[in-house]
Amino acid sequence: MKIRSVLVPILAVGALALFYGGPGYAADTSGHGSVYTREALSGGKKALLAERESEEGERGEGGGGGGGENERFSAVESPLYKKECSSCHFLYQAGFLPAHSWTMLLNTSDKHFGEDLALDDKTKTDLLAYLTANSAEKSDTEWSVKIMRSIGSSTPGRITKIPYIESKHRKIRRDVFKRPSIKSFSNCGACHTKGAGGNFEERTVVIPK
Amino acid sequence: MQKKGLMLGGLAALFIAGGALAAGPADLNAGMRSLMDRYLSEAQKKEPSLKAFSAEEGKKFFNAKRMHSTAKEERSCSTCHTSNPLNPGKTPVGKTIEPMAHSANKDRFTDPQKVEKWFKRNCAWVLERECTPEEKGDFITYMMSN
Ligand code: HEC
Ligand code: HEC
Ligand code: HEC
Repeated sequence: MKIRSVLVPILAVGALALFYGGPGYAADTSGHGSVYTREALSGGKKALLAERESEEGERGEGGGGGGGENERFSAVESPLYKKECSSCHFLYQAGFLPAHSWTMLLNTSDKHFGEDLALDDKTKTDLLAYLTANSAEKSDTEWSVKIMRSIGSSTPGRITKIPYIESKHRKIRRDVFKRPSIKSFSNCGACHTKGAGGNFEERTVVIPK
Repeated sequence: MQKKGLMLGGLAALFIAGGALAAGPADLNAGMRSLMDRYLSEAQKKEPSLKAFSAEEGKKFFNAKRMHSTAKEERSCSTCHTSNPLNPGKTPVGKTIEPMAHSANKDRFTDPQKVEKWFKRNCAWVLERECTPEEKGDFITYMMSN
């Protein structure tokens, strides 16, 4: 039964391909439409970015913002952090919060924004070791430095509640965050197209419709 | 000789019977099959007449909407996973979720610990309680069937 229901369309597509002469056609008809659409989309985004980048270039070199060695974060390299903390949302770079915030978040992981993360003690300890070793106090990116300055002695439970981060986004209307393509201010990657790789520079931002 | 033949025959019969009675679809790995067996024997304690899990029931469960007592919004498994298990879904924080159907994503339902962890989280989020063994078994049967 199962085998037949798979074989029939394959044969049909194969026959069509022969008829129209060429595997290229077969590939187009075999249900990969969504993949192509996605490629087209990210291609479009890339084009937009390239355009912006060249505009930036015309404005001259110095405009880019800072010249420090660690201008940006690097991509998250901890497989454990990725496994445990990226299924529901963007994988926030450790440098967005101070160590005491990460400690607080993991100590309350059974009540994580309405979710019980059900982490065992070993996992918590290992996650904390990674997060506190790379937290905002340890990072010399412009963002971490400004975050540390901005929070004073408080222990933020959210990156999006840090005054510096809030002020950087104050021009964005609240209903923009609610767009189906964004859903939440906490979804950094929706607008920061290079955010997963650690780049939050203004010129890499594209707010989706 | 004859004894050995009989024994082999008996073993073969056992295997066949075992296969027919197993709680889960044949595509599941050993760890997942034993999880499904556990679900079935636990479910049978409550409902001794239950013979096997049902993909049809799993589909109903997957799409059933329920009003959350504090969030005051309708929630279902399909809120995040969409009503078509072959499609990718999205979390409330905007992260894409790979399709749930095993046929669309071979990594699904291969790791009993992962499966139990997500049942715990998601059943609490949608139903404000744990899922019953029968609901879990039906759900997995549905996801293995499309
Ligand atoms: C089961 C889903 C889930 C998992 C897994 C999860 N989170 Fe979250 N997390 C959430 C939700 C829901 C929010 C709130 C987002 C919102 O308000 O839109 C959140 C928010 C956050 C925020 C604050 C984001 C902001 O608005 O500034 C941080 C930081 C965070 N999570 C860290 C973690 C860490 C660390 C882990 C791993 C130990 C983790 N999360 C795993 C669901 C999850
Ligand atoms: C709706 C789109 C959107 C989302 C979602 C979003 N941002 Fe932004 N972000 C922007 C825009 C636009 C700017 C540029 C603001 C400006 O400088 O005028 C920006 C600026 C920033 C900057 C400052 C960059 C610089 O060098 O000036 C940081 C850091 C940043 N965002 C971090 C985050 C983090 C972390 C998250 C997730 C918790 C996030 N953003 C979510 C749109 C977004
Ligand atoms: C709030 C969003 C959300 C809702 C609602 C939701 N899920 Fe999920 N579910 C997720 C996420 C995120 C994952 C992890 C996806 C991943 O690892 O790729 C997941 C994974 C799972 C898995 C693990 C499958 C595997 O082997 O990888 C199971 C089982 C599951 N969900 C069952 C359910 C059931 C049953 C319901 C309804 C009671 C439900 N989910 C509702 C977000 C949700």
